[in-house]
Parts: sequence; structure tokens; C-alpha cells
Amino acid sequence: MGWAWLILVLATYPWILGADLASDTLASSSLVFFVTGACLIAPARRLRRWQAVLFAACLGFLFEARRPIPDGALALALVAVAIYLSSNRQLLRTTPGMLRVAAAVNIAACLCWFVAAAYVSPVPAGEQFGSLLLQLLFAGVIGAVGVIPIALTQNSAMDRLGVPPAPETP
Amino acid sequence: MDQNRQGARASYVALAIFVAAWILLPSAVRRFNREAFAEFQAPALHLLGKSRDLATFWEKKSRSTEELAAAGRDLARINAALEIKLNAMDDVRRENIRLREITRYNVPAEYLSVVARVASRDSSSWWQRIVIRKGRNDGIRPGAPVVFGNTVVGRVTAVHLTTSEVDLVTSPGFRCTAYLEGDDQNRIVLVNGVAAPSLGAAKARVSVIPHDYSMPAGQPARVYTTGMGGVFPSRLTLGYLDGGTYSTQVGNFKESLLLPSRDLYNLQEVSVLVPLHQNPGEALMQGDQFQ
Repeated sequence: MGWAWLILVLATYPWILGADLASDTLASSSLVFFVTGACLIAPARRLRRWQAVLFAACLGFLFEARRPIPDGALALALVAVAIYLSSNRQLLRTTPGMLRVAAAVNIAACLCWFVAAAYVSPVPAGEQFGSLLLQLLFAGVIGAVGVIPIALTQNSAMDRLGVPPAPETP
Repeated sequence: MDQNRQGARASYVALAIFVAAWILLPSAVRRFNREAFAEFQAPALHLLGKSRDLATFWEKKSRSTEELAAAGRDLARINAALEIKLNAMDDVRRENIRLREITRYNVPAEYLSVVARVASRDSSSWWQRIVIRKGRNDGIRPGAPVVFGNTVVGRVTAVHLTTSEVDLVTSPGFRCTAYLEGDDQNRIVLVNGVAAPSLGAAKARVSVIPHDYSMPAGQPARVYTTGMGGVFPSRLTLGYLDGGTYSTQVGNFKESLLLPSRDLYNLQEVSVLVPLHQNPGEALMQGDQFQ
């Protein structure tokens, strides 16, 4: 189904909104509850490559829309990750593998927005190393923990849309 | 397998071409894209804010009649006290107008106050922002000051149709001039947000504090707006100096941190002061999406 990626964006959006709500609660600690990277994992297993690319771009643009990050910095990085994951589906075949990849992708995407935000920020980035480490650690934990419920929702949506299940062999 | 690898390679090439095209594209296209995704999220933010309001409404509705009667009685007392204050203020206002006429003092910028509910808060090392549930449709413009009572909350940085983004006083993008309480000569200092430390509360920095300035004894020094530049009205509280001042590297001036006078992450409602006439600062902000 050609529009599966768009419907999947809508199905994933409540998780992104939930993450924004959690960020709202964490606002006084200057931490962002970042799940965008983890949202990419389940669709990358089952969608076709071009669909996964469009889905990743939408996820990235949704995160960037309300934050002072250069346009496309996160979205295009996620697209590159989507191409890589959809070409190496064997990485996502087992649950432990999926958890590892989710943590890694969430950390990489988090690093991407952090560096991009530093690029446009008027303050020097040198003093923020501690914050970066903390944010990356947080993103890794959320990626690994959050990917299961997010993937369940996304898989359920893809089943209803008739997207073929992930192949057993790559 | 080989076909898969070839397809991946072609996708990477296409992505590289797209990245190049994206960089070369006119900024209007990128701005349109950003605006489209922001507007897509606006209904959800409104729904979120309204759900919170509804929860508060039902929480208040569940209070007992005795509690409401007591609250009403307290409000009546406060109203009576405020009425007396209002009359006194009216006299001060008339006196102020008379003195302005005598000295031919320039009339300060006039503002239209738009009250807005806070939809969400977002904070990281690089930004401290809130999203409010009023936007272009309500007359809000970029650069407008945002206050709560007589306290500066921040400044509008981006305006969408029904929502706006506000950079808080502690956000690195925020800058304004200020006076310090206890400085009889009214020398100007600079307030700007700094990147928040890990897990710490965000603060702003007060710089260019004169070397001979000493804080009032026994109380934190209030930092308030100058009214210069036409963005913020004068005499609004920005916050208080945090602890002692310390010398900067240059040695001619001192620096200190600014503690916001309110917990900026617990605000439910703010007022946006929209200038009745566009000021130069606003004109500069238009088109600059990262400020």
C-alpha cells in the first residue's frame, strides 16, 4: 500500500506527542525526552525503502518544526539511517538486535540534533560536554526501553494496512 | 542480495543529490516546510492544553461549597484593597501625564495585551521555550514581549496561525538591557540567557555590571528592564541577582547570574504585549527563524 508510510506517521504521532509531554514535565532539568530515532525501527523492518525514507523524513521534520535546529539537519540524517536499516534488515531480525539498534539510532539522532542546535546557538559549545553525555545516555535508555511499545503500535497499524511481515531471511 | 546493495547505493546517491538541492533551495521553501509541519502539530497542542484546562475545571468543580464561599470572601477582600490601590494609581497616572506634558517627554510605546494559555514547555541545553495557544490569528507578532504580571517571561520568536513559540529569559537567544536595583546612577547592564547546565535550573547572565556597584544589603538586587530599544516596557522585573558579583576577565566590569523571579516552567498563562506600532527590533526579527 503506497500510503502506508503516511498512515504510519499518523499512528506514530501520539508517541511523539507523548514524548513532548514528557519533555514538558522534564523542562526544569533541561532534558529532552527523545524517541524519534526509536520510532524508525519497526517501519524500517517492514516498509519498502522509499516508504521508510519518507517516514523518516516526516519524523525528523516533526521534531525540527518547533525547535531552533537548522532545517533538515535531523530529517536528512534520519533518511540516511532509514536507507541503511532498510538495506540491512538482518540487524533487526531478533529482539535483542532490535533493542541494540534502537538505542544506537536514538543516540545517533540525538547527537545529530544536539550538534545542529549548537551550530546555530549563540553560546559556545565547549561547556556543554556534560549535558551532551547526559542527553545521549538518556536517549539511549529511552530508545532501548521505548522501542517495544512503539513497535507494537506500529506493527499493529502495519498489519491492518496489509504491509507484508518482515522477511525471515534478508 | 546484490540488487539490494545496488538499490542502497542508488538511494545514498539520491540522498546526496537531495541534500545538495536542499542546501541550494531558497529559504522560503525550507520555511514553508517548517511551517507546514508546525501547523500539523498545532491541533494536537491545542487539544493537549484544553484537556489540561478541562482537568483543572473538574478539579475545581469538585471543591466543596464551603471552600468556594471562603475563596469568594477572600477575593472580595482582595478586590476592596485593589480598588483603593486603583484610585491611588489613577492619581499617579494623571500626575505622570501632567509631568510628561511639561517636560515634552516622548510617549513610550503602547501595547495591546493578549492573554494566552501555555500549551507546552520545551527545554534543553540550547533552548528554553514555551508554546502558547495564541498566534497570528490573534494578532501576535514575532519579537513581542511576553510577561506575567510585572515579570518578563520572554519574547515571541516564532508565530504560527494559532500557536506561538516564546524564548524564555533564560534561553541563550534572549538579550536585553536592564537596570540594577540599588544603582542610583541607573547604569545599563546587559542580560542574556546562557546554556543550561546538566540537570540544573536555567539561569541568565547579567554582564557589564559597573565595578563600583554594590548590592543592597539583606536582599537580592532586582534587575528590571530599561525600556530602551522599544521591545520591553520599562520597569518590568527580569529577575534577581544570584549571589555575589564577580570580576570578568577584562577586569573593568563585573558579572553575575540572574535568577528568574518566577518559576518559568510552572506558568499556566502569560500576556503577550503586542506593540501597536511595529518597532525596529521586530522588523529585524522578521524572517530570522532562529532568533
